[in-house]
Amino acid sequence: MDILYNYAMRMTSNPDDAHDLLQETYLKAYRFWDKYEKGTNIRAWLFRIMKNTYINLYRKTVKEPDTVDYDEIKNFYNTIKDESADPNDLQEKLFGQLLDDEVAKALESLPEDFRTVVILCDIEGLTYEEIADFVECPVGTVRSRLHRGRKLLQVKLFEYAKSRGFIGKD
Amino acid sequence: MNCSQVYELISEAVDRRLSGKVRQEFETHISICGQCQAEFTSEEMIKSLIQHRIPRAKMPAEVYSAVVEALAHERQSEKRSWFTAFFGQPIFNPAVALILILTIAVGMYSVVKKPLAPKLPNEKNIISQSIKNYAAVMAGSIKPKIMSHAADDVKDYLKKDVSFDISVAPTNGCDWCGGTLSEFDGVKLAHVVYKFGGEQNLLYVSQTDLDEAMKGEKIGLPTDAKDALEKTGWYFQDKPGKYNLVMWEQKHTLCTAVSKMDRQKMIAFLTDTGE
Repeated sequence: MDILYNYAMRMTSNPDDAHDLLQETYLKAYRFWDKYEKGTNIRAWLFRIMKNTYINLYRKTVKEPDTVDYDEIKNFYNTIKDESADPNDLQEKLFGQLLDDEVAKALESLPEDFRTVVILCDIEGLTYEEIADFVECPVGTVRSRLHRGRKLLQVKLFEYAKSRGFIGKD
Repeated sequence: MNCSQVYELISEAVDRRLSGKVRQEFETHISICGQCQAEFTSEEMIKSLIQHRIPRAKMPAEVYSAVVEALAHERQSEKRSWFTAFFGQPIFNPAVALILILTIAVGMYSVVKKPLAPKLPNEKNIISQSIKNYAAVMAGSIKPKIMSHAADDVKDYLKKDVSFDISVAPTNGCDWCGGTLSEFDGVKLAHVVYKFGGEQNLLYVSQTDLDEAMKGEKIGLPTDAKDALEKTGWYFQDKPGKYNLVMWEQKHTLCTAVSKMDRQKMIAFLTDTGE
């Protein structure tokens, strides 16, 4: 059940909302038990109920785009490259200074589809195939969302580092 | 393999999914291409940052009991549910619906995993030892060092000598509670006993450091219990007529409760925060 609770926490960013979302998920599972296909992955089934519940409860007003401005990601890399001979060295130093809360906030700011696969892969340790089953999409989509999700996170973290003054502002 | 082909495979390489010829070609390319090498290292760093800096939120026990309660309430408002339909009997308390869902999930997970770990010796096995201790408490051969009507007295006594958090449920509905400490191969163990009305009605709870139990070096858990705890935070076992065992994680403590009491009553009592 922790996988659902953790997902609820990361999606709602609030323990009370996470509790409500978890409760609503189980109530729906209880009411629609006859819809569950025996022999299929019950964790994936519960997860999908939670994801749909989340969309209905918390995303009524904000419809986030599924596309990401890829130029932003590219520009980021060029910017950071100008800052240091080894951009990864600089990045490690910068991100090392960020607070855990800031890293969590950066993750929570990602668009849902990207955030979901990053949570399931990097926090829950699920395989691409399991994630594909959870979110009902092809493995190739999982791979590309993961790549883009991590890239976007990198941009967000860089912005946090900049706003904290760890790096010179433009 | 060219740069754009390599770029497509970076996530899979970071997640250690490449093998054979593809992996070889990928590694050869990044060893000679600085840009692709930097992209790979960068994504690897981001993954590691997420893994190490974002804690996995663990569900508090009170949230678990609230969900169980909500399900019980849901059942009261309907005449026939999947639960009764499934078993064709209306006698089940639907509060266990959640537990059933969890048990199925855990069961399926265990089947997929097919644990091959060597059998854990009985003296190190927290489950065997907890059942044995419960029998000893029932027989009167283990007696608590402290007994009180106040949970806090027992908690204060136990927490002095251990590094993990001690959990003692409020004594609402029980006659008294008691506690004692022991050590096995250098690992501290706390034992709490609750006495309910009636001669034989005891609830025994052993508590120990969660990390120590999961590491499994000095004391440990059978693979199915360990998997269930990792995935759900709970593990259940019962032997009808003999005992019901409920195991759960509470912060950094592993708690194992054994009693003849009904499982739902045990969970409701043990997860009562008194608030």
